[in-house]
Amino acid sequence: TSRFRRAKQEPNVNIPGVSRAQGVASAGELRALAESCKERDSGRRQVDAALPLDILTYEEKTLSAILRICSSGLVKLWSSLTLLGSYKGKKCAFRVIQVSPFLLALSGNSRELVLD
Amino acid sequence: MATLRRLREVPRHLLVCEKSNFGHDKSRHRHLVETHYHNYRVSFLIPECGILSKELKNLVMETGPYYFVKNLPLHELITHEFINTFVKKGKLILSLDKDTYEETGLQGRPSQYSGRKIMKFIVSIDLMDLSLNLDSKKYERVSWSFKEKKPLKFDFLLAWHHTGAEESRMMSYFSSYGIQERQPRVALSTASELQCPVLRSGELGGAPGAACSAPELLDWLGAVFSNAQLNNEPNNFVSTYCCPQPSTVVAKAYLCTITGFIVPEKIRLLLEQLCRYFDEPKLAPWVTLSVQGFADSPVSWRENEHGFRKGGEHLYNFVIFNNQDYWLQMAVGANDDCPP
Repeated sequence: TSRFRRAKQEPNVNIPGVSRAQGVASAGELRALAESCKERDSGRRQVDAALPLDILTYEEKTLSAILRICSSGLVKLWSSLTLLGSYKGKKCAFRVIQVSPFLLALSGNSRELVLD
Repeated sequence: MATLRRLREVPRHLLVCEKSNFGHDKSRHRHLVETHYHNYRVSFLIPECGILSKELKNLVMETGPYYFVKNLPLHELITHEFINTFVKKGKLILSLDKDTYEETGLQGRPSQYSGRKIMKFIVSIDLMDLSLNLDSKKYERVSWSFKEKKPLKFDFLLAWHHTGAEESRMMSYFSSYGIQERQPRVALSTASELQCPVLRSGELGGAPGAACSAPELLDWLGAVFSNAQLNNEPNNFVSTYCCPQPSTVVAKAYLCTITGFIVPEKIRLLLEQLCRYFDEPKLAPWVTLSVQGFADSPVSWRENEHGFRKGGEHLYNFVIFNNQDYWLQMAVGANDDCPP
């Protein structure tokens, strides 16, 4: 047998968006929203804000998404989204559910097991 | 400055990939499946397959039941009768916050993943040892702690592997606590025109232009089971993720996901059945079996401490090749020991 191990580098973030009004209508809007967060919070405008971000999945029914960002951008993205209080004039809130470099780990969440 | 740097760091995760063959004497696959106890989600993927065989279908439908009981006092789990009926050999492992730990008056050790301030303690009680020595001071102490000093109650999920017709034993034993039986949820589907990575069983790390690596396969599997798009263009605004190359398109693939509380013995049976998939010639070059643990389980494999941190992941994935070679990937998060 042979084995290798390595520390994974690319975190994936699982986020449901809770929005009181109409909310984010599409993956494209979510992407633009995330970009504007980063730009707003980076302080240094374009150069710093240009971190490659992917919206891997977006589910309109549950208003939840899986985002992918490189490790160096994780904290910035996470804090930007957490601090976002409104979008297009309507109140909204983002809650980060799971963060992992393993996308497979985000395909199921044991905390969502309904028991009662 | 150091604090700021630490806050910006991403906590370390570990992915261990190994390859072997099911026929090898020293293959560890059985041991690794059997010692991963708290399994929440089991899924498998079979390329070039549109219908599940009767044997696989039966196994999938018989992974349960499991049980749910609320407010069960901990002292019920250390009675002689409970240990002899359901446990025989095993340990009760408690992961407690500092205050609770001190109130129990039990002997434990600090969590391995404590920072400067110790916030969590682990207490490990050998149940067989206890049940053989009911007169011992140790038993008296534990019993006193659970009954009088700090009577702890928890909501429990229970799963029990047993042979024979003892189905209702669990239900009748805890009937006074309102125990409920649950069946795992099964989701079956087929995917059409699925892009699958090309793999070579001998090349865990992939081969440029010829085969994908084990970590790429794991990512792809995650994308498939999360329903992510696999063929985005590099300049797509929303997502640039695409299937690792080289890849082939299969006309259809069978996906199955079972969620609940699944015992290792059932997973072992599934693994064996999937190995037997290739007893007859098949178009598929490989199949996968993935298992995820409960995010809040206090242990991952054996007694290795597990913590949630930011994702609580502890999972493993088999890639079973048509020549009985296999890849095994084990992944854990920041508050975890290295997988065995």
